[in-house]
Amino acid sequence: MSLSGIPWNHFDPLNHFPPRQDSTPGFYPQYLSSSAFFGHALPQLSSVLYAESPAYFNMNALSAEEMERFQKLSNEFEAELPGPLVSPKQSSNTVALEYANSDPTFATKTSALAVTHPFMRIMKGDGNCGWRAIAFGYFESLLNLRNPLQVHQEHERIKSLNVLLQQVGQEEHIYGIFVEATEEIFTQISEAIQRGVRDDQFLVDAFNDEYNSSAILCHFRFLTSAWMRLNPHRYQAFLSLPVDQYCASRIDPTKTEIDEVGLQALVDGVIDASGFAVEILYLDRSEGTAVTPHQLTQSRPTAATIRLLYRPGHYDLLYQPEPTVNMEPVVNYQYAMTSNYPAWDQGTLPFDVGSISMSIPNLMVDPSFGGLGASPMPADPSSPFRVSSPQEMYPQPPMSTPPPPMPVASPPPPPPRMSAPPPPMSSLPPRSTDGPQIRLNPLVMKPNLSHSLPVTTPFKNSPYNQAHFQNQDFEPIHWAPHESRK
Amino acid sequence: MSQKRIAKELAELVESPPEGIKVELADESDLYQWNVYMEGPEGSPFQNGKFLVKLKLPTEYPFKPPAVSFGTKIYHPNVTNDDKGSMCLGMLRPDEWKPSSKIAAVLQFARQLLVEPMPDDAVEGRIAEQYKNDRARYDELAKEWTRKYATA
Repeated sequence: MSLSGIPWNHFDPLNHFPPRQDSTPGFYPQYLSSSAFFGHALPQLSSVLYAESPAYFNMNALSAEEMERFQKLSNEFEAELPGPLVSPKQSSNTVALEYANSDPTFATKTSALAVTHPFMRIMKGDGNCGWRAIAFGYFESLLNLRNPLQVHQEHERIKSLNVLLQQVGQEEHIYGIFVEATEEIFTQISEAIQRGVRDDQFLVDAFNDEYNSSAILCHFRFLTSAWMRLNPHRYQAFLSLPVDQYCASRIDPTKTEIDEVGLQALVDGVIDASGFAVEILYLDRSEGTAVTPHQLTQSRPTAATIRLLYRPGHYDLLYQPEPTVNMEPVVNYQYAMTSNYPAWDQGTLPFDVGSISMSIPNLMVDPSFGGLGASPMPADPSSPFRVSSPQEMYPQPPMSTPPPPMPVASPPPPPPRMSAPPPPMSSLPPRSTDGPQIRLNPLVMKPNLSHSLPVTTPFKNSPYNQAHFQNQDFEPIHWAPHESRK
Repeated sequence: MSQKRIAKELAELVESPPEGIKVELADESDLYQWNVYMEGPEGSPFQNGKFLVKLKLPTEYPFKPPAVSFGTKIYHPNVTNDDKGSMCLGMLRPDEWKPSSKIAAVLQFARQLLVEPMPDDAVEGRIAEQYKNDRARYDELAKEWTRKYATA
């Protein structure tokens, strides 16, 4: 995609921040609120500076030798940064708390953020945070989709990018060890999916291993650098240096934080072909009550979105609410309603309990209805009856802002419910010993099942259906204080 | 993992050493400490000298740069005039280091520095001043030190 969509105005106010972003402790409040800045960095610096001139600090009073010594100390200064390279998933309330007493714009935006994106991972601000956020987000998305074929395809795709490295003259024995580290992650993800491991701790651990983590990020840097050198026309207009020099000074060296052009190139060259979306949410002093989102990938249907929180000089990962309604309780609910049948053995069920159709609570399968072989669910995703993925159907409602009430039509329809009412007892067919004890609700017993799927009716107006959030034109109703309440 | 790359680079350097440079492990059991014997480049005041350069690789190599120091005393603006003889310049700075840089390039860079010192990046300010303002005297002293310390 082109860079023209980048909201440069968001960067302008930040231009006074030095280019090597992460090496400027104190510019983002993580330091201000923790003891890292005041407790460590300042005393060290000030003891150096003030020792020579106890009364007050005066640059001119310093001899050339002293200046040299300070320059050396300053060059070698490295803030001791607390925390792991990639943190566990944690509540983004912590960010809201950090900013609670700061600039009102930040306070408003961060408390709104904690609602729309309740979880985050903090990246260590060691000069690699942007690179690390993207790389970790990429592998985490791949793991969460739990599609072994996709993992395999992505593994092959990333491996095939070695061609770019060869084209810019990198030697195999130099980049080989970096590619190996990346491949190892793909292998671990494949194995985790095959073994049904739900815990992503292995991925967090891999990214917290200094050597491993450096190797993967280095691989991504190499790919980005090669991609930019091979596609200079896409980036040159945004750079003040020739692309080669830019890559040599801003992409290739370890510990140089990614800037907006580099980030775009990383997304274009490495991430984009995965089909994942990458979105940055800018937390800055611009007007508004919410962080400013910017999509780095073209808008398209996507299985996963890597979301970055950008604060001046730092990137972290953000997560939207996780779906909390999972399919099993729903199935059990259905079962419990029907009556006290003997426990199911999933193995004997003639359908896949894990399949997505089972997440639709009142989709009932009657063995007498059309045979079990024929799936009542349209398979074509483009069909108007496409079954939304659980993520689309059941996002957790935002914590403090319930969905706006739907206008009630007249005569009012029965209140939307997660499940259809239990079938009248009189309509129960005789119990059979084989097959599931699930019957089709008579309310949906219509000649053409595919046109009477219960998905459409109860869900469309359900307060739990948040499909309207997918609509680009959707705007939530904002609560405005009434005159009398002001 | 770092050992694989170091072993490979060492093998390359032993097999086809760059001009005026010979490398060996300081201790056969430690891949991370190298002794480099560097001939003073022709046309420089260090000509005919043979300098021991110590190369120390961090365990995080290639993600962190190697450290280069002169084991032989040398009169040079970019080498500290103490018992450490350390040299820290350009590509060897932690924030400029690129994992794609090879040790061979580092050593060639160090040898080139003997031909063309970088007085603006000096660690010995006095020698740098002299190099810029009184080249003859600099050359003289550098030759003298070479004769005194760098010829066996």
